[in-house]
Amino acid sequence: MSRLSFQSLILSLQKFWADRGCMLETPMDLEVGAGTMHPSTFLRVLGPEPWNAGYVQPSRRPADGRYGDNPFRLGKHYQFQVILKPSPLNVQELYLDSLRAIGLDLTRHDIRFEEDNWESPTLGAWGVGWQILLDGMEITQFTYFQQAGGIDLAPISAEITYGLERLTMFLSRQSSVFDIEWGGGFGYGPVRQQDEREFSKYYFEVADIKLHWDLLNAYEKEAKHCLDEKLVLPAYEWTLKCSHMFNTLDARGAVSVTERVAVIKRVRDLAVRCAAQYLESREELGFPLLKQVSNG
Amino acid sequence: MAEYFFELLTEEIPASMLDAALATIHSALEKTIAEIGAAKPAAGIHVTATPRRLIFFLSNLPEKQSDREEIVKGPPKKAAYDAEGKPTKALDGFLKKNNASIDDVLADGDYIQVKRNVTGRAAKDILAERVPQIIEGLRWPKMMRWGAGEHSYIRPIHSVISVFDGAHLPIRIFGVDSGTTTVGHRTLAPQQISVTSYNDYLTKLELGRVIIDAVRRRHVMAERALVLAKQAQGTPSDDATIWAQWQYLTEYPGLVRAEFRDEYLALPEEVLVTVMRVHQKQLPIRNAKGLTNSFIAVLDNEADPDGNAAYGNSFVTNARFADAKFFYDVDRKVPLADRIDQLSHLQFHEKLGNYADKTLRIEQIAIDICATLNCDSTEARKAANLCKTDLVTEMVKEFTELQGKVGGIYAREEGLPENVWQAIYDHYLPANLDDTLPRSVTGAIVSLADKIDTLVGFFKIGAKPTGSKDPFALRRAAQGIVQILLNRDKREVKIGIEQLVDFGIARHGGAPENVKPDLLAFFAERVRTLLETSAYNFAYDEIAAAMEAGWSSLTDLVNRIDALKVMRDETNFLSILDSAKRIANITAGHDSTSVNLGKLENEAERRLNELADAVGDQIQELISGRHYIDALRSFAALAPELEKFFDDVMVNVDDEAVRKNRMSLLRKVGSSVAKIADVTKIVVDRSEYRE
Repeated sequence: MSRLSFQSLILSLQKFWADRGCMLETPMDLEVGAGTMHPSTFLRVLGPEPWNAGYVQPSRRPADGRYGDNPFRLGKHYQFQVILKPSPLNVQELYLDSLRAIGLDLTRHDIRFEEDNWESPTLGAWGVGWQILLDGMEITQFTYFQQAGGIDLAPISAEITYGLERLTMFLSRQSSVFDIEWGGGFGYGPVRQQDEREFSKYYFEVADIKLHWDLLNAYEKEAKHCLDEKLVLPAYEWTLKCSHMFNTLDARGAVSVTERVAVIKRVRDLAVRCAAQYLESREELGFPLLKQVSNG
Repeated sequence: MAEYFFELLTEEIPASMLDAALATIHSALEKTIAEIGAAKPAAGIHVTATPRRLIFFLSNLPEKQSDREEIVKGPPKKAAYDAEGKPTKALDGFLKKNNASIDDVLADGDYIQVKRNVTGRAAKDILAERVPQIIEGLRWPKMMRWGAGEHSYIRPIHSVISVFDGAHLPIRIFGVDSGTTTVGHRTLAPQQISVTSYNDYLTKLELGRVIIDAVRRRHVMAERALVLAKQAQGTPSDDATIWAQWQYLTEYPGLVRAEFRDEYLALPEEVLVTVMRVHQKQLPIRNAKGLTNSFIAVLDNEADPDGNAAYGNSFVTNARFADAKFFYDVDRKVPLADRIDQLSHLQFHEKLGNYADKTLRIEQIAIDICATLNCDSTEARKAANLCKTDLVTEMVKEFTELQGKVGGIYAREEGLPENVWQAIYDHYLPANLDDTLPRSVTGAIVSLADKIDTLVGFFKIGAKPTGSKDPFALRRAAQGIVQILLNRDKREVKIGIEQLVDFGIARHGGAPENVKPDLLAFFAERVRTLLETSAYNFAYDEIAAAMEAGWSSLTDLVNRIDALKVMRDETNFLSILDSAKRIANITAGHDSTSVNLGKLENEAERRLNELADAVGDQIQELISGRHYIDALRSFAALAPELEKFFDDVMVNVDDEAVRKNRMSLLRKVGSSVAKIADVTKIVVDRSEYRE
């Protein structure tokens, strides 16, 4: 196997999934904790319309930051997210083919699907699935979405989330994430270590607590405002901003246990309203993607 | 004799769920085979599974059910004939439906009945009907939907093999039509495989890199584990949980030995073992000195030709240990005693305050218990004070299953007395029926205090378990208390459940009136359940009878039930039972046992009274020494005298004073045995006592 870089991995995955009928979506241009929060997943899994998409999603988890010191943990990492709706029966085979496409000879490795279910209290969403272990290491999260925004889903979507840094690190036999190559000779460490250091300090020590509470309240108000105006997509963006404010406050140690439950509920209430309203709005439009596929 | 074999190919089913599913399938198949009419239904059933297959093979099946006669019941005879004795429409209709004539009607009974010959159904027809019901009817702990979302099962279903005596027996499971093909191992041999019989299936699947039988996979791994451990001059840890999981993690099992960095051996062994076992499903290797830095990992491949699995497992384990070491180093900078303040920020339950509040109550209850036991409370108090502090350590935040243990380890490293650190370490014990109990009396006291505080608290706020819902694991907490007391209340922790409940209520600042009776009923249920388990194996009526005489000491309760168990098989048990029943019946509603000697009118009652006093004293002494069998035998000896009393003396006389006096006498006789059990609750089959 030629020396594998972060970007060659991304390119292989993009090509693989594009060749199998996925639309290559771009990352959500707001701070999100995971590819799941991208409207391309959270909203598109609702209702009867088919959807096949793949995209890279920078995922911010302020509490996971380690000042760029820990070789495995990052406050911002990158996911490659694939969403297949409805989940095809050969989805596991497709997934294994994607590993072959990035150069793995699976007969010389250990691949296992071990039970690991997923639940997001802030999104009112849960799913059933596995963590996929390559030689004992988790490289992918695989989830059959069962519910989003409190709504039972049908058809069911399969979500495949590759942890890009981990996979690159493992395949290029590096023992620190900061030693992997991004591409074009640029190293992940020199490119990213500064922002890990600065954002860790920011989220853990510096972020203005009052400002973030104020912003959370303001964003929530605006989300509701949008929902009242039947503008679900803007409402959902404000909801995502609320979620990021909460994550920041949480990392900053500014959320007590009781507040925690209350704030999660506030965000979930928004997500639940967004989900319901999105479904309504698609129905009003006559579920356009349904027609597109049957015509196409 | 016929054979049937079945395979359901699915996506990977959680390893932890397979044993239970196989047991359910097995018992359902037993019923089906009994229905078909096999002589020994269980003998010809083989059920097994891989992560993605449920498989069963039935042999020695009869080809069909035997033909049989059946009696069909029709209308009542009254409605079958009119006033003139002629058949009514009801009878005509019935006969027509059953293809019978009036001559076929059986003479006996109040209803019209006819015999009908039933042709036995073919085994394959029964199987075609039952197998889909059994498989679709499995209730998995967590179900999912997939694709269009119309079916709910543990994982999506891919194909079904159904073969009866070498031929395809078509069935359909969740819309998937059966066939005779399957696929081999996911990555090693993913091709289609077509089979004709179970033997053919086993051979071809083995070539397709799948070992069908879970037991065989386990054997393959067990042998390999010994070899690998030997290479590291050690032996594999003895760990039944790991084997139970491993057998369902792979279709073609291999094992590999990997290592973690030496420096991590300085971490507490509990942490290392938990990371490996629980988080990584790896088996540690030990040698004479203890844990080594080698471990064994499972892989779904017979070998690891490029060392990928060894590298990957080392990589992940080192990463995990790096985290653990970071937590361990950070945690030890703050002594446990300095963490109590932090507990006030950790909520126990919104209506029951935070963990600092809970700690205070545990301490108080522990002191109450020590006062009752008349023992020094210094160590119990210290342990209670610190027992929850590990909840705010980084280690427990990451590895929650180590709660208690981490506190104990840190306390040990801080140089606290053995009794204190062990009590902290053990205070969550026992976590289930098979779990060990706290090692020391101090540990038992802290565990009891913690659990009774939890129970009283949740009952006080009306959060007692209902049906299958027990979100705060209260049944487990109560069961834990019962387990500890069953083991200890004879000598070291001489305390009753009611007393514990009182302490809990007092330290919760009181509780609504219903809390105490509700809790006692809740505990009584746990006591019954526990005593019915195989560890004790007492019958329901024995437990009920003995509990009627009190259960403030559980070890005493067990002694009394033991005595009942022995006595109920002795022939004189019937006289004990009859005496007790007669006394209970005739004195219903009468409580006094004080007898007025002056009012004893005849010889038989005076004689009984003397005996009651003499034997009563004797029984009392035997009871104090917990010699319950002898006590019951002494009571049995009273039976002839009691019989004579009932023959000679009339209890229900008009003279109230005399009547009541006689009732008191009988009560006195009965009271001696009532301290052991209410024997009238024992259900007997009298025929078994005939000589």
